[in-house]
Amino acid sequence: MEDLERLYKTHYAAVVRFLYRKIWDADRAEDLAQEVFIRAMAHQPDKPRAWIFAVAANLARDEARAAIRRRKHLVLLKDDPVPLSTPEPSAEEAVEHDERWAQVTGALAALTERDREVLLLWDAGLSYPEIAAQTGLAVGAVGTTLARARKRLTEAYDRTEYQADAARS
Amino acid sequence: MRHVPDEELHPYLDQALSRSQCVEIETHLAQCAPCRDRRDTIAALRDRTTALLGQLTPRNLIIPPPFEALAERLSRRPVTPLWQIRLKRAGLWAAGVMAAVGTGWVGRSVLDPHPDQSTAVQEGLAPLASAVELGSVAAPINDLPVSAPSADQVSTTPLPLPEAAPRQELRLASAAHRSTIIPAPMLQLASALTPMPERSGDVALSTRLEGSTPFGPLWQQVQWEDALEKAGSGLPYIEGMLVIGVLLRPGEGGERPTSLVAQQDPSGELVLSIEGPLTKVMEIVKSQGAPEIHASEWTRTPPDYVPAPGGTTRRINRVLTVTGRLSADSLNVLARLATIR
Repeated sequence: MEDLERLYKTHYAAVVRFLYRKIWDADRAEDLAQEVFIRAMAHQPDKPRAWIFAVAANLARDEARAAIRRRKHLVLLKDDPVPLSTPEPSAEEAVEHDERWAQVTGALAALTERDREVLLLWDAGLSYPEIAAQTGLAVGAVGTTLARARKRLTEAYDRTEYQADAARS
Repeated sequence: MRHVPDEELHPYLDQALSRSQCVEIETHLAQCAPCRDRRDTIAALRDRTTALLGQLTPRNLIIPPPFEALAERLSRRPVTPLWQIRLKRAGLWAAGVMAAVGTGWVGRSVLDPHPDQSTAVQEGLAPLASAVELGSVAAPINDLPVSAPSADQVSTTPLPLPEAAPRQELRLASAAHRSTIIPAPMLQLASALTPMPERSGDVALSTRLEGSTPFGPLWQQVQWEDALEKAGSGLPYIEGMLVIGVLLRPGEGGERPTSLVAQQDPSGELVLSIEGPLTKVMEIVKSQGAPEIHASEWTRTPPDYVPAPGGTTRRINRVLTVTGRLSADSLNVLARLATIR
């Protein structure tokens, strides 16, 4: 239980971010992250870190299905409000932040599901073997997938930025 | 000199390679400027990816609630017993199996609504029908005409089901009208009730088909109510499936009888629930030598306590198993559904 508590303190934010990047709802991401750790307490998994992200991915998938059933929009819209922390940014900063945020989410959405999953797991701090175990890839293929995902993400982001600049001018 | 491919530089920068692989790459990088440039490019790409993803943060500061609060929430949750979870899973699994089997049955009847009754089928049916007077048979999906037997041909009443279920009763008292009935259940019964090993007073099926029961004189074909009375608490059946017949073999030395309940699943397959002393049930299962016939795992049933020399009692372990031409997994599920009456 102590290990889990330590893991909770060190990884809670990473799990929230991981979930948020899948369901795009900050409050719900926090709810689900807490649910993940509650389940971990009940199950006491042998490899808690990998287990936590596997359960988080499953919960995010269930949430996405439920959202589809509720006919909610899962694809990010540019007008979606972005929760921000204090201090409140200026209006100009907020607009700029929103725009950049929409570009990144658009770039992330352009990736294949597998590339996106591997990239998000890597960003959440999972090791190659842990990513391989969760995604079903060979450990050797994780590096290749990550290389491709990183390249495509930045290319897609640059493309949207170029289009945004062209629209402004 | 082999250059380091991008696919290796990414895990190298992610520190996902072994020490020896890192040393190998670093040795190469020390003497290869193009690879160093590519390493720097990939490192920049990696940092940029991290920065881009860093913008997709719900809040700049994510503060976890106290760990104790989660523990308290967990303690307030109702605990579902493991057996309930397993029972639910088994039920879902069984429902899936039944749905698949039912779909296959319907599909078969749609594709071949009037199956030919070959000579072999007739031959396979004839001796058994005379040997085993079956109480009832599930109605085939396509209702074929059944000639009504005369009063003197009908010697017994239909075998009642444990639970009321829609069915069509077909009498099989004589060979005169056998040919009008789809023989699948009886044919399967004939092949499923394969011979018992020859023992004193107990004769193999092949030589006793003209007798009263397929298992020899020790086995009795009985009506459900009689069987309940004779078998006491040991009459096994699977709810929701038609009962085709019941065979009982009296126990020895104070044992309860060994019982065999033949039932038909929705696809027409015959399933036998056998309950009795462990050694006797094992004998029956072993005697069903056909490779396509499987048996479920044993389920313990209430034991017999029989008098033993010296005024003591001896415990005879009893088990239940379900056999048939289904997969062992399906039979295991059916065995879990089996009820002892």
